[in-house]
Amino acid sequence: MTAIFKREFLSFFRSPVGYVAIALFSFLSGFIFYSQFSNHIVNIGSEVISLREFFVILVPIVTMGLLSEDKKRGTDILYYTTPVSLFNVVIGKLLAAFALFAVMFINVIIHIIVTLCCGGMFGVGAIGTIIVFFFMAFMFISMGLFASAITDNQIVSAIVSFIMILVTQLLSRFGEYAGTAVTSVLSSIKVGSAVSIGNGINSIIRWFDPFLKTQDFRLGIFSVSALFFLVSIGLLFLYLTFRVLDKKRWSQS
Amino acid sequence: MIEINNLVKRYGDKKAVRGISFTVNDDEVLGFLGPNGAGKTTTMNIITGYLSSTSGSVKVNGHDILEEPELAKKEIGYLPENPPLYTDMTVKEYLNYICDLKGVSKDKRKRQLENIVAMVKISDVYDRLIGNLSKGYKQRVGIAQALVGNPSILILDEPTVGLDPTQIIEIRRLIKSLAKSHSVIISSHILSEIQEIADRVVIINNGKIAAIDTLTDLSKRLSGQSKFLLTFAGPAKDIATKIRTINGVSAAVVRVVDSKFTQIEITVGSADTTRVRTDIFFMMASLGCPIIELRSLDPTLEEVFLSITSGKAKG
Repeated sequence: MTAIFKREFLSFFRSPVGYVAIALFSFLSGFIFYSQFSNHIVNIGSEVISLREFFVILVPIVTMGLLSEDKKRGTDILYYTTPVSLFNVVIGKLLAAFALFAVMFINVIIHIIVTLCCGGMFGVGAIGTIIVFFFMAFMFISMGLFASAITDNQIVSAIVSFIMILVTQLLSRFGEYAGTAVTSVLSSIKVGSAVSIGNGINSIIRWFDPFLKTQDFRLGIFSVSALFFLVSIGLLFLYLTFRVLDKKRWSQS
Repeated sequence: MIEINNLVKRYGDKKAVRGISFTVNDDEVLGFLGPNGAGKTTTMNIITGYLSSTSGSVKVNGHDILEEPELAKKEIGYLPENPPLYTDMTVKEYLNYICDLKGVSKDKRKRQLENIVAMVKISDVYDRLIGNLSKGYKQRVGIAQALVGNPSILILDEPTVGLDPTQIIEIRRLIKSLAKSHSVIISSHILSEIQEIADRVVIINNGKIAAIDTLTDLSKRLSGQSKFLLTFAGPAKDIATKIRTINGVSAAVVRVVDSKFTQIEITVGSADTTRVRTDIFFMMASLGCPIIELRSLDPTLEEVFLSITSGKAKG
């Protein structure tokens, strides 16, 4: 596992991928911090929340090549023919991507130090958003890893993970649309409880929205169940990734 | 030692491998011969654990590849058709990474890598990026990768494909030197290559074993019929007819006719080809047609199959 982790993490810096991701993150976080700073209201919590919106671009950049490149180069054969287990391969790759996000996050730590030096606030709410940031990074990286496992084309992998993360980000809006649509269809065919069915569908879809689930963290209200939810989704995708890799061996087509 | 028992691999309706069984003994070079698409790579992928068989078993030094994969994989070094190389790493980084994957401990690593690098002669490119190496060097790094972890069995899938003649000779020499301390399975679709390296040959076609033989037996089987190409100056058809009358010649086909020379392919059914060749020489001399060249044609893989299958039909 450490072998895989080390190789993958260093390989981010053998190609432009690591530099592009870090540069992009530095630019975005720097820009957000700068605009807050110039307005004399610095809020690390809202900076981190704004940065979360960019997972949709950052995660596909980082994860797109993790497994797809191996398939294309034919180096995935090493994972099957050496004593290393596929489970360790998946975990190693995940940790490598996660570590890159941790490196990117150094930007925010610098901002925190600057804020504290200038007598700014760094409260429990900000810590909450940082916790959510990393749990969410884990979840989205797992999705990206899965997208990378199902293809040998980096672009396809990037597009698939982009769409998965985008859908997750827009989940509560989808919920509203779906709810309204169902309500209007049902009321046009004169179903009595049209509004409550519509609302039900809306709230079912919204239940899956990780952003809604974790929105209280910024207020300093931590919810273990919300973090558990993020971890569960992440583990689900890790398991699927493992299955996809393992299946290749048994494939009959 | 590898014991392969009734291996079957099915892809949908198509069976890529249909019931292959053979054994590889210790310190033996086994040639794995077959045309493209015969199932060589599939079989090798199953032996190394890259693919799982639909049925049948593979035992590597007594460890089943499915039941004790980690122990079995430790015994095997595999060079696939496309060497699994990371082009963005240097040879040194790459081999250290392979050591990590194969779990070679830190204290043994340095000596082992030194030995391997000296053996496959890659010390002068040790610090260069693999992506910048020539094909021959990449192949050597691929072999080095297979040697990491000191496996007792080497499986090499068409190791000389795409190399130039000097590189081919070097790689063959390397494989021969490795064979002294390893069991080697080497696949190829080139008959002469296998003849040069292997002790024993498994010939597969269409997913089935067509023959398992030592090389001497194989060449005995093949010696039943040999072919010669005769180039001379003179009329094609008349000479061909006359050659057919020579005792022992079973066919004479005109291949090329141009303004200067004629080429005739002669198939000799008799074992005493020297006498037949002498007869041809004297006949051509008496006819006043100068022989430019008379050479024997190496049997092609197809002819090997034909002779093996027809031999079986007779027997």
